Amino acid sequence: MSAPVRTAPYRSQLPPARDGFGQLLHAEWTKLRTVPRWGLVLLSAMVVTVLVSVLAVSGSSVGGGGPAAPVGPDGNAVKDTMQLVHERLPGDGSITARVSGLKGLKAPRPDGGRAGGPPAVNTGKTPGWTKAGIIIKANTKSGSSYAAVVLTHGHGVRMQWDYTHDLAGSATRPDEDRWLRLVRKGDVLTGYESADGKDWRRVGSVRPAGLTGTVEAGVFTAAAPNTKVERAFGGTSIAEGPGRATAHFDELAVNGGEGGRRQATIGRPAARDTVPAVDLASGSFELRGSGDVGPLQTDTDITRQTLSGAMIGLIPLSALGVLFITAEYRRGMIRTTLTASPRRGRLLAAKAIVLGGVTFVAGLIGAVLSFQLGEPIMRRNGHKPPRWPELSLTDGPVLRAVIGTAALLAVISVLALALGALLRHTAAAITLIVVMLVLPQILISGLPLGAAHALMRATPLAGFAIQDAIARYDHAAAVCLPEEGCYPQGPWAGFAVLCVYAAAALGLAIWRLRRRDV
Amino acid sequence: MRGTPPMQPSAAVRATAAMQALGTLRAVRAEWTKLRTVPGSWWLLVAVVALTVAAGGASAAAVTTEHCHPTPAACQEDTVKLSLTGVWVGQAAVAILGALAMSSEYGTGTIRAALTAVPWRGRLLTAKAVVVSALALTTGALGVLGSLLVGRLVLPGNGFTAEAGYPPLSLADGPTLRAAVGSMLYLGLIALLALGVAALVRDTAGAITVVLALLYVFPVLVSLVSSEKWRERLQEWGPASAGMAVQATRNLHSLPIGPWPGLGVLALYAAAALLAGGLTFRLRDA
Repeated sequence: MSAPVRTAPYRSQLPPARDGFGQLLHAEWTKLRTVPRWGLVLLSAMVVTVLVSVLAVSGSSVGGGGPAAPVGPDGNAVKDTMQLVHERLPGDGSITARVSGLKGLKAPRPDGGRAGGPPAVNTGKTPGWTKAGIIIKANTKSGSSYAAVVLTHGHGVRMQWDYTHDLAGSATRPDEDRWLRLVRKGDVLTGYESADGKDWRRVGSVRPAGLTGTVEAGVFTAAAPNTKVERAFGGTSIAEGPGRATAHFDELAVNGGEGGRRQATIGRPAARDTVPAVDLASGSFELRGSGDVGPLQTDTDITRQTLSGAMIGLIPLSALGVLFITAEYRRGMIRTTLTASPRRGRLLAAKAIVLGGVTFVAGLIGAVLSFQLGEPIMRRNGHKPPRWPELSLTDGPVLRAVIGTAALLAVISVLALALGALLRHTAAAITLIVVMLVLPQILISGLPLGAAHALMRATPLAGFAIQDAIARYDHAAAVCLPEEGCYPQGPWAGFAVLCVYAAAALGLAIWRLRRRDV
Repeated sequence: MRGTPPMQPSAAVRATAAMQALGTLRAVRAEWTKLRTVPGSWWLLVAVVALTVAAGGASAAAVTTEHCHPTPAACQEDTVKLSLTGVWVGQAAVAILGALAMSSEYGTGTIRAALTAVPWRGRLLTAKAVVVSALALTTGALGVLGSLLVGRLVLPGNGFTAEAGYPPLSLADGPTLRAAVGSMLYLGLIALLALGVAALVRDTAGAITVVLALLYVFPVLVSLVSSEKWRERLQEWGPASAGMAVQATRNLHSLPIGPWPGLGVLALYAAAALLAGGLTFRLRDA
């Protein structure tokens, strides 16, 4: 045996290969860009989104007249109806009272029981946000600034101010006695609660902007509306009517007050309530009230309505997502692709990034156009401030909904890509994604509320929650109806569900692609 | 024909007709062989039945008389329609079956072999239509009967009892029989619609997307559009929402379109798709 011949190892004469992730992205972008049909699909997705959005809003109208809602300190419509016993408080001071026996009463008929009007809604259950407590309010006009410490029927002691704000105190039951105190010092209001009137616990300190100069201090009772879910003709409907409640107050003392207590009805309650003839000055009386104090939850989300075309626009985009991978299998192109880029996980990641980026841009164009065209149409059809505040594309919630719609479409197309890679079958993958996203939209209108909410939480449809652009307040009793575009979870929670679906499908697809021959 | 004595003209015509019928029969048999020997087809057929029954059963199980006010009868729940909700899901699998029968031939290029064997294009399309609609009707029947059976078993437990005004589902009941037969025919028509669209589009992805959009977009639009007049129109014009009217057994007067006219709308869609598909199939090179 001769000694091994030492030769220089082989070195390719070619320049170093370009196999970075950037090149992979560029290759996928070239594939996507150079198929004319796919460009048409993207364009059609944008056109469909805008057209359907405009169609959806063009027939909109504002239902029901009714008295105009009062306007709160921030310029938005609010609910401000209550029964109040009050006296003037010119400067610093405090109000203390003990509240007990808070309970719901038989509901009055809406609009004061007009003949032929809607019937009263009785559920046999007192709504959780029925409340009684102490309040310092700028004046007795409906919609004026206030701060209050209240005992609620189902949510314990709360400190609430200026309609939209709410702080939790102790979890007192409505059948227990509770001492409440509100101290005014300068423009700071501090709420306290106590079980015995000696040992006080602070609930919170707030600074409502409108409470300056002489204000009114007193006690009030308000009742959250009664709502009842009913089924008829295969659909779910909600009956809502004013509630009515009563509470007993004693030990009422206003430090720094001018005296001369009066009773006042704030707003337009459905029932005229009076205090049984007792001396208000004694500070011990029963106060009945109907109507509620809090934000007015609007049922029409203008932003969501103007973006509704995305529900249809997702169909061509998911077809594109599926084709972006299944077309490679159909034409045998996948073998060339994997020869050029053997790392399969990276390949699918590159595809997802390119596809997601392109569909995001297409979705963003569609969403911005839909909003800009649809919003003026909604305004013309009667959706005007203060009930529906002015909106602009740069408002936080609107921006979240518009960009969220684009992100939603991008994530859906990535989910479609992952399903295409998993199933390797164009027809099955497209059908699966369309059935997953579109069918729940059809079924929720015919299913009972509980089942509809379950579908909206658990299916990828949950992602559409990101289109929510109206504030929903926990302390404003409202029923979340799917027909009104209400999603039971928050915008981000819903979007996260869709992202989990997409991530899981993509992970599974990468795992499958690695283990299987092409 | 070699070796046979010359025939009388009438006999010749008769023989040609018989041969044509035989040819169509052979084409049908060939199509059946094609479908039968692809494992995917069997999965699809299983999917039609399973999805229809499962989704129908889930819907029936989700609805109770709990929110009916004041009595369960006040809900006016259409228990037959509720049990047949699964057809909304099963139709997607039927649409794939119909579309693939045509588009997969273009995808793989076997359309050229198929047209060499059966050069009469009308005959080929007819054979495909016969096979897919027969399969859709058969699986549809299984799915519909299964759904009704599940509904019959599940619904009384949810408060839909005979005492409450909801007699157990039975095919002896006229409207129920109509809903069951109608749902079956509905699925058959969906298969034909998908076949026609696929003949027109010649591409699996395109055909499936168009058919699914036709089926599902109209009902979604109904929920988006707020104008009452347009809602009704969309329900009358949409192939799925109009066709599903055949499932209704209660409150027929409040339907935007009657049960049989509704199915007729879907039949018009299917006929138009088949006609357009057939014409382009005839006029274009494969």
